[in-house]
Amino acid sequence: MEDRIPGGYDNFVIPFLAGMAFILAYCIAKLIGIIMHMPSDDRKKLLLSLVNPRIIAKNIADIFSDCLLHVKIFRKNPKLGYMHMSIAFGWFMLIVIGHMEVAEFMPEKLHTFYYPIFFNYFVLKTADSGTALAVYEFLMDFFLLMVLSGVGIAVFKRFRSSIVGMKRTTRPLTRDRIAMYALWAIFPLRLIAEASVAGTGGGGFLAMSIYKAISPLMPESANVLPIWWAYSISLGIFFFMLPYSRYMHIPTEAVLIMFRNAGIRATNAETGFSLLEQYSCSTCGMCIDACPMTNIAEGEKNASVYFIRNLRYGGGKSSTKSIANACLMCNKCVAACPVGINSCELKRRYRSADYDGMPARQYGFVPSMETHPATIGNTAGNPCMEDHGNRISASYAIAGTKGQSRGVDSKPHKTASCKQNEDNVYNKKAIYFSGCMTQLTPSVSRSMERIFKAAGIDYSYMDRDGGLCCGRPLMLAGNDRDAASLIEKNTGIIETSGAEILVLSCPICYKVFKENYRLGNIRIMHHTEYINGLIESGRIKIRRTDEKLAYHDPCELGRGCGIYDEPRKIISAAGHLAEASENRESSICCGGSLGSITLTYDQRSKVTQAALESLACGSPDRIVTACPLCLKTFGTYSALPVEDIAFTVARSLEN
Amino acid sequence: MDNNYNTIIIGAGPAGMEAAYRLSVFGIRTCLLEKEAETGGHLLKWDRIFPEGRKASEILGFMRKRIESGNITTITSARIDSIRKKAGNGYEAELATNEGKKTITADTILIACGFKLFNAAKKEEYGYGIYNRVITNADLENLFKTNSTGSIIGENRTPAVGFVHCVGSRDEKAGNRHCSKVCCATAVKQAMEIKEAYPQATVYCFYMDLRMFGRHYEDMYLEAQQKYGIRFIRGRVSEVSEDCNERIVAKAEDTLSGKPVKITLDMLVLMSGIACNPDSGKITGSLSIENDSDGFIKYADSIFGQVKGPGIFTAGTCTGPKTLPETINEAGEAAAVIYGYLKGNSNNF
Repeated sequence: MEDRIPGGYDNFVIPFLAGMAFILAYCIAKLIGIIMHMPSDDRKKLLLSLVNPRIIAKNIADIFSDCLLHVKIFRKNPKLGYMHMSIAFGWFMLIVIGHMEVAEFMPEKLHTFYYPIFFNYFVLKTADSGTALAVYEFLMDFFLLMVLSGVGIAVFKRFRSSIVGMKRTTRPLTRDRIAMYALWAIFPLRLIAEASVAGTGGGGFLAMSIYKAISPLMPESANVLPIWWAYSISLGIFFFMLPYSRYMHIPTEAVLIMFRNAGIRATNAETGFSLLEQYSCSTCGMCIDACPMTNIAEGEKNASVYFIRNLRYGGGKSSTKSIANACLMCNKCVAACPVGINSCELKRRYRSADYDGMPARQYGFVPSMETHPATIGNTAGNPCMEDHGNRISASYAIAGTKGQSRGVDSKPHKTASCKQNEDNVYNKKAIYFSGCMTQLTPSVSRSMERIFKAAGIDYSYMDRDGGLCCGRPLMLAGNDRDAASLIEKNTGIIETSGAEILVLSCPICYKVFKENYRLGNIRIMHHTEYINGLIESGRIKIRRTDEKLAYHDPCELGRGCGIYDEPRKIISAAGHLAEASENRESSICCGGSLGSITLTYDQRSKVTQAALESLACGSPDRIVTACPLCLKTFGTYSALPVEDIAFTVARSLEN
Repeated sequence: MDNNYNTIIIGAGPAGMEAAYRLSVFGIRTCLLEKEAETGGHLLKWDRIFPEGRKASEILGFMRKRIESGNITTITSARIDSIRKKAGNGYEAELATNEGKKTITADTILIACGFKLFNAAKKEEYGYGIYNRVITNADLENLFKTNSTGSIIGENRTPAVGFVHCVGSRDEKAGNRHCSKVCCATAVKQAMEIKEAYPQATVYCFYMDLRMFGRHYEDMYLEAQQKYGIRFIRGRVSEVSEDCNERIVAKAEDTLSGKPVKITLDMLVLMSGIACNPDSGKITGSLSIENDSDGFIKYADSIFGQVKGPGIFTAGTCTGPKTLPETINEAGEAAAVIYGYLKGNSNNF
């Protein structure tokens, strides 16, 4: 095998080379900028992750499955998955095999960068190459065909998005269109270019058969250069457009995965890690169908994809803000995102910028820890309160509110010691914190008291006589600083109570207690976990009826904390579980979310109706939820009775 | 039996009964339909009516006597299976009654299906249906009627009783933005009645603002303060709990003094508001007339009210909260408009 072109060079490679050089320089410069803007702790984490074999293995596995095979999209939507996989994996294989081919036959040309890309133009294939060449040629054409099939779907999808099962998708910007047309052109042009030289450069089944079809029509002296120029130019345009278009996600996603695996999270909405998230958004629009606000007139414009697009291209400030403030923070878009961008956290960080420079609140009306009824065994002052035993010295550390949130895919952490003590966990003293919302739904707190009593638990009720907010609503509004002072006060009360288990009825509280409180050895449990444990350990017994119960996964409990199975076990113990049409990770927000700052009640009611329709799918007798806020919201609009899971259990108690 | 009428009246509450009587005076033959076993609607549940505190039973007895006329066919326990416009003029309704299925026809329809009392259990923070000592205004009327307030209050002759105004009214979260109009006066009336039954009682009214708009209503309000010493606290009750003696602890903010208050009570009365009757949607749906976003039937004209479609009319609270005298007035007006319509005068404005 030898050079067909003397010197192995032609000017048509210039567009490709220029584009390649540009995008490499751009990416390196951006990456340095991102790293420089990260907190130094995060830089340390990144450095450590690069030498940690466990994280390295995870990086490789994640990059392979998410960036190349697109397993996540496959799971949700096989057609869309194939489209992405065929283009990404096919292209990747073309590059890899192309380089291997050059390494095999023209190793001295590997350093030229462009040679593997335009291999067929530059080589004169001779018969001595044997079967190895045939295998390479077959593989190259096979993967090219794969890519072409993906491009075919992509072109078709642009005109009819319903073909891949998407009801709504984004309208590409002009810049995206330019890059998109260049991308669409690359592979057909490559095929035609390779076919044009298949007589001398050789080719697989695809290029060769096209060559055979077109060669009788071509004069012997035909100039094939223009077609190679076109191929190179389309590559060049695509590379030049990358940083200014949605396709920036191609080089960024792998980096995002590495940073995320290193434990780095967004600390603001605009620089550092969040920039990486913005670039990783391919504006595929899968979050649009997921967003419950699409049930509201014109609610579609509030989808996360538009928020990120605004952030990235500096769209109208007011509209970025209005999206950030409207968001219900239900995390459905996060669960739907194939790249795993935590857009709700970005919006929360965006909101928090409003609190910069504002004086912190003092919360002077809050009772001091020393006088809080849950911390003292003073039965005279508060006749309803049980004796709370000895006080322990309050030494508490406030959990940082930055970078603590876990991704939706992570499981709630159960430490080994918790697992070991699973059996006797119910012999331990518990403290029950009902939270503000449960104060407004006494059916829940009363049910919990009945259950505690039936199970013979030694417990105290922390906020029976008035309590403090957990801090999560403030955090959802972006006010982390004021939340921290509530967290500090509550931590003191809980630590002084002497309890070993903290039971919560409200998933909103549960999430913040799990993620932002540092309570030492005190185990934090949502009542679904706790009640399920009581049933499984035989501490309480419940009657099973023939009632069909639909379970609504509250956002903060399901997507927020990964608790899906415990409530379902409880429901199956009390009756028949009727699943909603959109359940678990896809559960629709009840509409009452504290997350939204600006949605009106009318708008919220549209979300509520959508959730209720989904719940009615299995024609249940009742709707059961595990969040006091969902309970209240559904209660207003539901034709079916709605109850909390604690109430379901309390009314079915046998002991 | 002749099943053709001039007018079908849907609902035999005060509006339907009064309209039937007025129409009978004009010699118009009506069929008065009632889904319950008795005529009277919400009047059946009430003990006394503000402002003068007349007995509801006395008012109802008077009204019932007035509909004993040859021109009025009253059918109770009636369910409307379908109602529709006939080809040409007039309407046809298929009924399920105690005497079996029945089809009736009429030239006109008067919708007087009234309201539904807001389900106070939906405001779970007030604990209705959870705490025994939390009741609604309708429950209290029933206790007055049966002389059994003691079943809630017990033997205590110096009870503390609270009234929460605007339960499910003026409350966007509860899905009702409108003011129910009658609850302020009802609460003041009931608070005074409690004081009459328990002179030593301490009575609190938690209100947003008092809408004592009618004639003599303000007198009631002054009397409640001066003669009965009822304590009016401007502020919404935020949450209600039970103490270990099963007494009620209500938390509220006194917005006039800017302080939170926490009061222990022997009884808490929730002033459930007037909510739309969901059944009205079924009727209007098949007659192709509209309900507003609040669920009440839409007035065709915001000033002159009335006429919905050819031969379809409304009276009473199916078009929004009204006091009893307003309802009676509107029923009379509806009768006059129907009379005009049947005489060929379609220009009712």
